[in-house]
Amino acid sequence: MALSLTVNGDRRASAADPVTPLVDILREEFHLTGTKPVCREGFCGACMVLVDDRPTPSCLMPAALAEGSDIRTVEGLGTGDALTAIQVALETCDAVQCGMCFPGMVVTLTHLLATSPEATRDDIRAALSGNICRCTGYERIVDATLSALAVK
Amino acid sequence: MTAGTLAQGEATGTFYIASSLAAALDALNDYGPEGAAFAGGTWIMRAPIRHQPLKTRHVAIGKIPELTEIRIGTDAIEIGAAVTHAALASALADLPDFAVLTAAAGRSANPAIRSLATIGGNLATSDFSAADCVPALLCLDAQIEVSSRSGRERMSLEAFLTQRSTLAPGRLLTKIVVQRSRHKTAHARLPLRKAGDYPVAIVSLSFDVDTANYVRAARIAIGSVETVARRWDRLEAALLDRPLAPARAADVAAELAGEFVGRESVEVPPWYRVSVLPRLVRRATAAALGA
Repeated sequence: MALSLTVNGDRRASAADPVTPLVDILREEFHLTGTKPVCREGFCGACMVLVDDRPTPSCLMPAALAEGSDIRTVEGLGTGDALTAIQVALETCDAVQCGMCFPGMVVTLTHLLATSPEATRDDIRAALSGNICRCTGYERIVDATLSALAVK
Repeated sequence: MTAGTLAQGEATGTFYIASSLAAALDALNDYGPEGAAFAGGTWIMRAPIRHQPLKTRHVAIGKIPELTEIRIGTDAIEIGAAVTHAALASALADLPDFAVLTAAAGRSANPAIRSLATIGGNLATSDFSAADCVPALLCLDAQIEVSSRSGRERMSLEAFLTQRSTLAPGRLLTKIVVQRSRHKTAHARLPLRKAGDYPVAIVSLSFDVDTANYVRAARIAIGSVETVARRWDRLEAALLDRPLAPARAADVAAELAGEFVGRESVEVPPWYRVSVLPRLVRRATAAALGA
């Protein structure tokens, strides 16, 4: 039985096995390669996507459980050519780094901006505790998030 | 199986999303040893990393209303087995008698994992020694409800821990029940990034302290040091009927810590897990007194 997934607003079908990690379907079948499979243990956050607006490590989500949910990857956050507020802030603050962890960071911070408009530096650090940056560039990412919150 | 959604794959078998407890128990019973309950999935989905085969049939229980409820009563709280860590920490945040459980559920892993991982999975995964909620619930003297097609039974968490790895197919942890009290409780853990952010040692404690600050009852549980979390009976006895003080509790813990044999792992040597216990006892005791 084919799986039916709603990804970035589009209905997509997959013939993958139901316990296939969502990250693998996103990348290998739908070619949404912003989502990275790195640790495959839920620690690093590189595979983070929004599932019904909730940050979710897609390496730990079997595809069958994602049916019926709204899945949003980093490719689906902006509208057309327009960047989101956090994307603009990260670019403006020169916080963008090697690209491995970064899509997951953007996904997590998108949720933070939507749900915690009064977030403090500590709140941002706590929110990012599941997003590991090998470049160790956290501070500029936190600063950029604070600037995005200030704009809102 | 009538209530639920069935997905079938060629390589990995079936994935049944149960919409009721009865349907889940039926499926688990029918699948027998080939089946497994799938709650948050944060352990099962990592089976390939551990070079372990997945079961061929899974029964997802995370969408069963009965298993995702938290009932807070005046005498006890009841926690459905599929309640996530995040939901549990949020629900108990204003209950000081459950500070230990709020901390255990609210500080484990990272926010995204806490939104997936369930309390039942934390207790039922016998290979996971670093589970925060196990020592927290041991010090709260939790009762466990196990259900099957033939009915429900209650047992202590300690009893459940001894039989969880051999639980017969078709039997499922469905509920955790904890009596309310005026005890002072706290949870202290030492996570290391080197250990994948898992705690290398956990101290959960619950004290009944009188108005003169004397300990009238104590329950202290240690997690992650040995393979299975357990009570620290000798430390409890040594603190009883004496004034509660973090420094003294740490000193006594240092004297008694030799009874623990740290588990082997690639992250830290066994002795290290034991060596940090006195400091964690001190930290947890101070937190309990401040609660």
